[in-house]
Amino acid sequence: MTSYILRRLVLGAVVLWLVSVVTFFLIHLAPGGPSSAVSFERTAEEREALLKQFGLDEPVVVRYGKWLLSAVQGDLGVSYNQGLPVALLLKQRLPNTLTLGLAALVTATVLGILLGTVAAVNRNGWLDHVVSTITTLGMSIPGFWLGIVAIILFAVELRWLPASGIVSSGKAGDLVDRLKHLAMPAGVLAFTLMPNVVRVTRSALLEVSRADFVRTARGKGLAPGTVLFKHAFKNALVPVLAVLGLVTTALFSGSVVIESVFGWPGLGRLAIEAANGRDYPVILGATLLAGLVVVVVNLLVDLLYAAVDPRIRHE
Amino acid sequence: MSDATASALLHEAEDDARKAQRGRFWRRVRRQPLGVIALIVLVLLAAAVWLGPLVYRTAPNRTDARNILKAPSAAHLLGTDELGRDVLARVLAGGRVSLSVGLLAMVVGLAIGMLAGGLAGYFRGRVEVVVMRLVDVFMAIPNFFLILVVVTAFGNHPVTVIVTVGIGFWAQMARVVHAEFVKVRGFEFVEAARALGATHPRTMLRHVMPQVAPQAIVLASLGVGWAILTEAGLSYLGLGIQPPLASWGNMLQNAQSYLWLKPELAIYPGLFIAVTVLAFNVLGNALRDVFDPRG
Amino acid sequence: MPPIRVRFKLLRLLTTLLASMAVVVASAQEYDPNGSLTFATNADPTLNPWNASAVIESNLINTILFDQLVRYDPTDLRPAPGLAESWETAADGLSWTFHLRQDATWSDGEKFTADDVVFTFNEAILVKELGANRASTFTPVDRVVKVDDYTVVFELNRPFSSLPYYLAYYSGMLPEHVLKGAENPLMVASFNKGQPVVTGPYRVGEFVSGAYVKLVPNENYWGPKPKLASITFNIIPDGNAQVAQLLAGGLDMVSITNPALLAGVSRNPDLEVVRQSQNIWYFVALNLDDERFQDARVRQALLSAIDRQAMIEAVLEGYGVEATGPIAPLLQAFYETDVAHWPYDPEGAKALLAEAGWTPGADGILQKDGQRLSIDMPTGQFGYLVPATLLVQGYWEDIGVEVKVETIEWNAFIQKAVVNRDYDAMLAWWSTPPTPDQSGYFASSAAVTGNNIPNYRNPELDALWEQGRAATTLDEQIAVYRQVQEIIAQELPYLFLWYPDMISVRNTRIGGMQDINSAANFQYSFDWYVKP
Repeated sequence: MTSYILRRLVLGAVVLWLVSVVTFFLIHLAPGGPSSAVSFERTAEEREALLKQFGLDEPVVVRYGKWLLSAVQGDLGVSYNQGLPVALLLKQRLPNTLTLGLAALVTATVLGILLGTVAAVNRNGWLDHVVSTITTLGMSIPGFWLGIVAIILFAVELRWLPASGIVSSGKAGDLVDRLKHLAMPAGVLAFTLMPNVVRVTRSALLEVSRADFVRTARGKGLAPGTVLFKHAFKNALVPVLAVLGLVTTALFSGSVVIESVFGWPGLGRLAIEAANGRDYPVILGATLLAGLVVVVVNLLVDLLYAAVDPRIRHE
Repeated sequence: MSDATASALLHEAEDDARKAQRGRFWRRVRRQPLGVIALIVLVLLAAAVWLGPLVYRTAPNRTDARNILKAPSAAHLLGTDELGRDVLARVLAGGRVSLSVGLLAMVVGLAIGMLAGGLAGYFRGRVEVVVMRLVDVFMAIPNFFLILVVVTAFGNHPVTVIVTVGIGFWAQMARVVHAEFVKVRGFEFVEAARALGATHPRTMLRHVMPQVAPQAIVLASLGVGWAILTEAGLSYLGLGIQPPLASWGNMLQNAQSYLWLKPELAIYPGLFIAVTVLAFNVLGNALRDVFDPRG
Repeated sequence: MPPIRVRFKLLRLLTTLLASMAVVVASAQEYDPNGSLTFATNADPTLNPWNASAVIESNLINTILFDQLVRYDPTDLRPAPGLAESWETAADGLSWTFHLRQDATWSDGEKFTADDVVFTFNEAILVKELGANRASTFTPVDRVVKVDDYTVVFELNRPFSSLPYYLAYYSGMLPEHVLKGAENPLMVASFNKGQPVVTGPYRVGEFVSGAYVKLVPNENYWGPKPKLASITFNIIPDGNAQVAQLLAGGLDMVSITNPALLAGVSRNPDLEVVRQSQNIWYFVALNLDDERFQDARVRQALLSAIDRQAMIEAVLEGYGVEATGPIAPLLQAFYETDVAHWPYDPEGAKALLAEAGWTPGADGILQKDGQRLSIDMPTGQFGYLVPATLLVQGYWEDIGVEVKVETIEWNAFIQKAVVNRDYDAMLAWWSTPPTPDQSGYFASSAAVTGNNIPNYRNPELDALWEQGRAATTLDEQIAVYRQVQEIIAQELPYLFLWYPDMISVRNTRIGGMQDINSAANFQYSFDWYVKP
């Protein structure tokens, strides 16, 4: 087991290194430069002075070498456009994305498993169709569109929730205020993530319900609900767990757009701002951090997977 | 038993199996009325956006600053947008772009994914290790971060958007195809075909592909919907298909500022995106049920 | 007609009187001492006006925080005393002397002195390697010399009559005692992103990255006591989201970048729309390195082909005025309307083009000597540049010009159009200080590498700009800039589109604001209050 984890960690490091190579060279292909230097009113002289300050007069390969060298020592460089260490920016933004992501993930999982179970129990009944309608809608409506509609409805018309941001000024410690800000973005994100969980739960439950031990239980005359919860549910958790790994990746992707809609200061918005402003060190940092989280979550999911289902052996 | 007889017998067995499958297949199709409706909707949509302009000849990009945000009229059946352009013509033009992006991106993703997953699953060994590690890399970068970087790097030319969105899901595709290949590879008739001296490409195409195809078709159908949504998301961030070319995504993005003034501008493209993606998803799910009745 | 002038002056006197009366009334009235205001900005600001990253998201916040030597007079935007009480130029125009206030202090209690001015210029703005914001506008300044603790002299290498205007244009002073010794005084993170030491009426109370910046009264402020308990800038990147937040009651004032959004504002009776004139002109630049555009008749024709009034209605909802040149009507003393206007006239445009040798070819596109009038017009995702570009495309296509519009992402657009000058035509804008001296956008010396985007070269105009800088009396300046405007309107180095109004929407509970323009308004933030 230890050697398995070790091997996965090494693999993860290699993956992250490849991510850094791909991201670094791709983003340097983009025309333009850091927006602080390449801006509309900047004269050639001012621009060159700034690019030189950032060390952008050196060849790309040299710059990558330097970046990698300091990155392995834990120094991700300084943002060109914000003048702050990249590590600090990431430290400020990651918790926000994790809060949003976790809230959305929990909501999506709980609701997803619930709806998936309802659908499986009522297979092909009207409840099944209702659930499938909800999930298919969740997969079919652009998240940002849902966000805008939610803002108009809940913020502008009903005035229940704030339209944007993470916390009101002067209320940094106010949990209710934070939850109010969290409600819409997390809800919208959860709605777009839920379909995966519902589908996997439903089909896993149906698959398990055909398994021998469930048939036996049913043969003994137990009620379908009891059979489902006593026997099928635990086994069905395995594939649901597996899907969580995938959902985490989707979560990061989804948060990029949702964070922009709701002005949520997370990693996704940081990445957009950095890409638009050609803030090379920040793009790299944000992408790597997102990759790291995904790698770690996947590893954890695989380990949990093994714990829940002893049949799975990692050589 | 000579090799020829064995081969004939093998084919016969395969054919029988397929015939039986086909019969069951149609029975199952009949049990998926929603899927059939979705398919009809998609065919109608495609006909409308590709053939519609032959009937409705108003130019989609013709601006007219003196006739902006007009209500529907005989000249403009759905009215005009913020630059005096004909909304119906743009919905049709945008549909061509959005559907093309969706379909082509899916083809790109499917092609790369099938090739990579197929090679890895068929040959195993070193090929598999390299390909599947690459898949891991791509799965580890949250799609949108990757797409963001690529589109920023190469600009928003439609081809870039298509390829990028396609690349966005090749890895997922490769993983599924790989798993199917590994499974199918062990089937007796595949091993038999190899033993009878069929070449690698022939074995893959003739014997393995048909087994993998159903899964791929399901993924493809869901993939088109995903690609259309992704383009819309990119458009929201200003990174999708760019004006003057219309896409449902960038129409929706433009309409945002006019929500108070003329909400219809947002409703049309939004509705078309939702209906199209919904149809592809319903179709995909139906196909999944048809191919895999246990679900 | 002298009577008009006199009447005009009387009118101004009257408005000044009324304005001061209003202030008296307001201060006599009670204001809510716990009143707080919430505004929006679109990104994390950089709290150093000279840092290259400090642009639109930071400018107004920095205007509150960092006092300037010179402010705008809120009645006519002429230079008015700020940290400097008075100033004069030498007879040869080659130096300016500024006399500083003796009672100004920094927010940490230190005295504000000549050393701070000397430091801000000699060790920040004028150091070329630092690439300070607007450094190029100060190239006439060689260095700043301290005469005594409260007197400084700007030593120039050529006359610069507009210096006080530029010192009032986002030119906050930096604290020497805090930033001296820094490797790069423009890049001190704890200052720019944390708690800068300032001279303004408010200082930073709290800065939560990505969420908000909260300003609180500066206890050590030298001027009138601020009337607000706090001013918070919420960080909301998207203009639509800002308006939504405004409608939801979460913001007190928002600048509207897209006038279409105003439609929602009327839904809330507590909100009022404020329309301000500003020194901004939108233009289409034709690349004058391309010989097709070197004939002035071609430029005149291309401008007459554009229905600017219709564009102002469509894109700006009418919030703008057709432009005739770089000097906006806001500069009442200098603005000259009696120049060539080029109204919308597509037939006239075709005739002018025919005169210049461009006639319709077989494909309907204008041609001359086998060359087609096909124009590459890149545009960037910013504000309403894309829709405006698409409308221009339509107008030009109407007269037989082929226009290929390519929309690219903003940063890539700047690289292509501004850095590489790789375009035939492009639509953009310049935002300038309220001075008629706009040589930076026209002078031959600013072609290719500077802000002369169309690479226009005209020795006659160059000489006039220098004359304007050297002019010492107002009448002399008015005469020079009148000539400048006549030449420019005829020659069309840029195709002038419009002067947009700055539109902001604010809650009626706010009082004490200066409505002439936002920069001036923010220079007098100590007057703001919340009605009880």
